[in-house]
This record gives sequence, structure tokens and C-alpha cells, in this order.
Amino acid sequence: MTELTPNDALDRHALIMGIWLAFGLIAALLLHYGLGTGGLPAVAAGFAAVLAAFVAHVIVNAVYATTFTRSELALGLVIYLAGLLALCLAALTSAGFRDHGFVPMALGLVATGAAIFFYMVIHFGVRGVFDAFNVIGNFQAGEDGGPSEEGRR
Amino acid sequence: MTPLLLATLGVFFAYAVYLATASARQTGAPHDFLDGGLALPGWGYIFAGMGVAIAALDLESHLLLIARYGLQYSHAALGLVLAAVAAALIHGRLWTIARMTGIATPGRLLGDYYGSTAIMLYVLLVLMLFALPFSAVLLSQTGALVEMATAGAAPAGLVIWGSAFFLALYTIIGGWRGLIYVLAGQSLIVLALLLATTGAAGIAAHGLSFASYGIAVPAGVTSDRLPGVIQFTAGVGKSVPLAGLWTTTQIASFALALTGITLSPGFLLLGVSTRTRTGLAFSQVWMVAGVAAGLLLLLGPVLGAELSRSPRLSLEAFAGLISRLANVDQLFAAGLVIMLIVSQQIAVAFFAVSGASIVTSDLIKRFVLPDLTPAGERLTARIAIALIFIAMAVLADILPLPALLLSGVALSLSVQLLPALLGVCWLPWVNRNGVVTGLIAGLLFVGFTEAAGLVAFEAVAIDLPWGRWPLTIHSAAWGLVFNIAFCVIVSLWSRQRETAASRDTRHRLHEGLERASPVRLGGRATRAARWSLTLLWVFLALGPGAILGNGLFSRETFGFAGTGGQMPSLLVWQIAAWFTGVLLVWWLAYQGRLGVVADTRVNVAITPPASPLTTDRRPRWISRMLGRLTQRSGPGEAGARAQR
Repeated sequence: MTELTPNDALDRHALIMGIWLAFGLIAALLLHYGLGTGGLPAVAAGFAAVLAAFVAHVIVNAVYATTFTRSELALGLVIYLAGLLALCLAALTSAGFRDHGFVPMALGLVATGAAIFFYMVIHFGVRGVFDAFNVIGNFQAGEDGGPSEEGRR
Repeated sequence: MTPLLLATLGVFFAYAVYLATASARQTGAPHDFLDGGLALPGWGYIFAGMGVAIAALDLESHLLLIARYGLQYSHAALGLVLAAVAAALIHGRLWTIARMTGIATPGRLLGDYYGSTAIMLYVLLVLMLFALPFSAVLLSQTGALVEMATAGAAPAGLVIWGSAFFLALYTIIGGWRGLIYVLAGQSLIVLALLLATTGAAGIAAHGLSFASYGIAVPAGVTSDRLPGVIQFTAGVGKSVPLAGLWTTTQIASFALALTGITLSPGFLLLGVSTRTRTGLAFSQVWMVAGVAAGLLLLLGPVLGAELSRSPRLSLEAFAGLISRLANVDQLFAAGLVIMLIVSQQIAVAFFAVSGASIVTSDLIKRFVLPDLTPAGERLTARIAIALIFIAMAVLADILPLPALLLSGVALSLSVQLLPALLGVCWLPWVNRNGVVTGLIAGLLFVGFTEAAGLVAFEAVAIDLPWGRWPLTIHSAAWGLVFNIAFCVIVSLWSRQRETAASRDTRHRLHEGLERASPVRLGGRATRAARWSLTLLWVFLALGPGAILGNGLFSRETFGFAGTGGQMPSLLVWQIAAWFTGVLLVWWLAYQGRLGVVADTRVNVAITPPASPLTTDRRPRWISRMLGRLTQRSGPGEAGARAQR
């Protein structure tokens, strides 16, 4: 893994934003449609779009010979947890969602999380993944806000 | 849908402003503002280039024209393959020349190489046509589209000025580098939405109209056949071609016009300012010829068929499609509108900022304020961006008709730069006299065969006997044929009278090019095969040979079963032409190394022509006449007169 120059780091950041914006938009379209009249295939396609964005992110990392930055990992974790929370709240408050939307959405979230976790374990090892997400430990070590070693920018 | 649409557009503007600000903070060097320090990432050219190619084709009009003419117009999307070939021929060599000479802008490079301020001014004219009327038409379309989509809640005028303000805001902050970052992201969005909305329109609503009913073109137009090789008509506005306008000659000449996109000064600047060397070929082969041409060819008819269900083929057709999509899902309807708006904004921002950058560098810094510091240059460019957006909004809001007329000549005049660019990159015998004469001829013939010129003649009470695009030949081809003819004849004619200095400059540059970036077109046979196959492809895919596609695949041919009416023969021909076209561009760009340039260590100095604003250059006949006059009224004569 190489340390990026400020310009390269900015280039990578802009590319990753563009990728997530485009794929995120498609995922939002498909999930919204899936929760309406589209059903399970549309929901599955929505989560496939999220996974495609993740794959594209990994490819960008490979091209720039770097890995996820700490802020990217934190943001991903927060969004994933927010998704889980929204799923639980929607299931508790909406009978319609509980009957039709809960199972596909839950399956999609679990599958997406599992796929990403599986990739990270293979790539970084269990200890590496734990270290990456170990925010409390990093706070105590006074490293908060710093990038991961490989993705420092 | 109004809040959803406006909120999404707000998110995109916030994204653009964020990236522009990040770019400005990271790369604070003033020279970065104009050309990204010639170190833009390769993916910037790859994605932004593709987005600009689609946007400059005018996606909204492209879809409406497919609804009006069917597959005969959709065939024109193959022109993007030709545009990719043109890019492969020019961009790599220009990239190398820019590094060799230290001259990044196309206007200055052409002007200095040929020693002609007139050529540089022509480049600036083309640049301004793209930055003002061409972009104003797209901005005006954005205004009308949002007004329609929000049922009048956001009036067109407000949208035009609002869009101009926000586009100016982020481009003034981020400059060229920030712009390319944003455009790359927006191009991906357009690509994704094109796929999503086509799928939604076709599958979710009611099944593919295109597959079920075809494109419901107006009576008298053939939807799935080309209406002949050529039609000897007087042109649009004078006579109506039988069965449709898009003959093979019209398509081939329109494809030439599309090369004006990749040869436009802004696109050339994008190529030159890219850092990586392999991004050029990747973009030309896979993104412009592959993705952009392929998607327009495959998805355009699907959306066109949906639009053709509307009785009026105008913005109302989009209103009908949007309401049908909204019945499926509000987000899909908003997605269609956003796709069109974002594609228009890509072209508007790109041409405005490239215009401001080049004008600042080539005109203001060079002729008006030569002592500008880099920080002053950046400030000037920012002011230029603001002025361009104000002028563009005025044209879009108050003067849409003149903008529409003038925008029609932008692509045609841009492609007239081809002989000059070929001279710089490949042909050392092309000289200043030839290029200037060719440009004048091209300019005149484009004017004679375009709406702007015809209206100008009508204004002085001259009714020309032909209309727009006579003989179903696009104005770009009319201009280019005479341009090339004059350029070749005059270049060869005036070879002996050239000064040694100008000949020496050209030969030094071409020798340097050979040393710095030798192409691998192979031996004589391979070289002949490359260009023969390219011409053969043009003949069969775009030229007269494309007429074979009308029926070749609809009946049993050469022992193979036809499509049995399931799929139009012309569509099969188009797909085959696209596929072989991508292979051809790959062969030229990668195997011939036209799109892969080498790191160069060769330096060549080019002496710029004397500035007409700072030097006293009088025509010789005026000097002679003044000389005679001053001799007659010399001191002796004046003294005698005094004695008398």
C-alpha cells in the first residue's frame, strides 16, 4: 500500500464520491420502487447496486494502491447501523412494511453486510477488520480522526 | 414531484460545491485554476469525456428526433464512433506537443505553429459559439423542462438564472480541476439514470413499446429503414425529403459534425490537461465509442418509442412519459427529468469554463494584459466565467431564437479545425496559407448551408434557392469538403513562397514528435490495411453501404435465417456496425498506439507570431503609398513652399 500525495488523495476522493452518488441514486430508485410495487426483484436489484458500488470502490483502491480510509469505514458503519435502525423502526411502526417489506429489506441488509464483511476478512484478516472499526481503542490511543495506515491521505 | 425534484437537484449542487471547494483548498496554485496544472487524473478524461460526448449531442433533442424519425435517426449515434476515431488521431499527438512546446491551449498552439493570429481567433470564435449560444440553448431547455415537470411552480426564467448562478458558483470556486471532478460524477449519474429510466419505462410500465409496436413515427416517415443513399432535395425549409431526412449521406455528414465534439477547443483542452497517458485510449475506445455510442444506439430507440406515443413530439412527449413513469414510481419520473437536466448541465458548465480558461490564457493574458500574475490570471478567469454565465443566461432567457440559430453552426465550425489539427499532428506540408484559406472556405460554406446563414441572407432580402443541409448533406460536410480542397491546393501551391523560418518551425516540431512519441502503425501493408479498413467501416456503417442494412437481416441471406420480423434489420446492422466500430477504434488507439502516448523529454520552442495589438504592422501597399507621399512633401519642398 502506498501513501498518496495530496492531489492523488483528492482525485481518489472525488472518484469515490462520484461512484457512490451514481450507484446510490440507482439503489435508492430501486429500493423505493421495490418497497412500492416492484417487490423482491427490485429490492434485490437495489442491494446489488450497493454491492456494485462497493466493488467499484475496491477497484479504485486497487488502482490507487490504497485501502479504505478511516472516515470511509466510519461512514459506512454509521450508514449501515442507521439502515438497521430504520428497518427495526419501520417494522415496529408500519404494519404494511412489516407484512411486505421487512423480509426482503432485512435479507438485503444482512446479505450486503455479510458480503462486505466477508471481503474485508479475506483481505485484512479478522484482527485487521477489528482494528479498523475499533473506534474506542483508537480514541484511547489518541489516534482519533487519523486515517487508517494504508489509506492515509 | 416538485419537492423531490428540487431536493435532488439541491443535493447535486451541494455535491458540486463541496468537490469544487475541496479542489480549491487542496490545489491552491493559481495556474491550476485554468488547466488543472496539466495533471488531471485519467479517469477525469474517461468519465467526463464520455459525459460531454453524450451531452453535446443534446440528449433531449436526440430522443425527440428518434421519436420523430425512428431508427433512421438513431443510426446517427454511430457518429460517436467516428468522433472517437478523430479523438484517437488528434488527442494523443496534441498531448505530446503540449508537453514538448509548453503550450497547453489549442488556440495558441495552432496560432503559434502556423504563425497566424487569424487561426487563433477562429479557435476563439468556435469556443465562444460553444460557450454562449450552444450552451444557452441547453440552459433554455433546462428551464422549459423544469417548468414542465413542476407544472409551472418553478418558472423557466427563474430556473435559467438559478442554474446559471449555481453553475457559475461552483466553477468559479473550483476552476478546471473542480469542474472535471464534478463532471465525471455527473456523467456516471447520467449513465446510471439512462439505464434505470429506460428499464423502468420499458418493463415496469407496460412492456417495451419498442418491441411491441416499434416507434410510432409520423405518417410518411419510415421508422426502420433508411430513406435512400441521397435525396436531391433543396434542403430543410425548401422541400421535404421522401420518407425522412436521414439518408446515408445525411448520416455520414452528420457523423462528421459529431467529430466537432471531440475536436472542439474545450475537449482538446480536456485531453491535453490529463496527466495519465493511458486514459486517452481507454476513453476513446471503451467510453465514447463503446459505452456512449452503444447506449444511445440500444436504449435511445426504447425511450424514443415511449415518447412517440405522444401526439405532439415536443416537451409534451416528455410530459406524457413522465406521468406514465410517475404511475410506476415517483422517483423514476424524477430520475428521467434529472438525467436530462444533468446531461444539459454537463455541457453548459464544460463549455463555459473551457471558454473562460482559453480566453483568459490566449486572449487576455497574451494580448490585453501581458503582465498578469498567475493570481491575476485566476481572478480574470473567474470574472470571465461570471460574464459568460450572465451572457448565456441572457441569451437563454431573452434571446432564445438567435441562440438557437447560432448554436446550429457550433459543431460544423468546430469540425473545420480538422485540417489545421491534422497539419499540426501529422502533415508537416500543411501551411498557414492553406489552413487560413480552407477555414475561410469552410466558414462560408457552413454559413451558406446552415439556418443562421440563410436567415442572414434573408435579412438583406436575398432568398437563396436552397435551404438548410441541401442534398441531404449536413453543413459540416459542405464546409469540410471545400475546406480540405482549398487547404490542400493552397498549401501545395504556396510551398515555394514560404519563409524558411515557418517551414523550419513545422519540421522541427514533427521531427520532435517522431522522437518523442512514435506511432506503431506497422509496415506499409499494415498501415494501408488500417486506413483502408477505417474507410471501409465508414462506408458500410455510416456511408452509402449502410443502405444494405435496410433488408439484409430481414430475410434469409447467405444461408442464415433472418430475424423473421422480430427485430428490424436496420437495428441488427447498427449493432454490428457499432461492435466492429469499437474493435476498429481499439485497433487504432491501442495497437496503433494513437491513443497511448509516451513520456516525452523532447523540447521544441515555437516562436509566436507578432501581436497585432503591440506591433506596428502596416500592409506593404500602405507603407509604399505613405512613403511616396512623404517623399513628395519632403523638407525641400516644404522649404520652397515657405519661401513662396
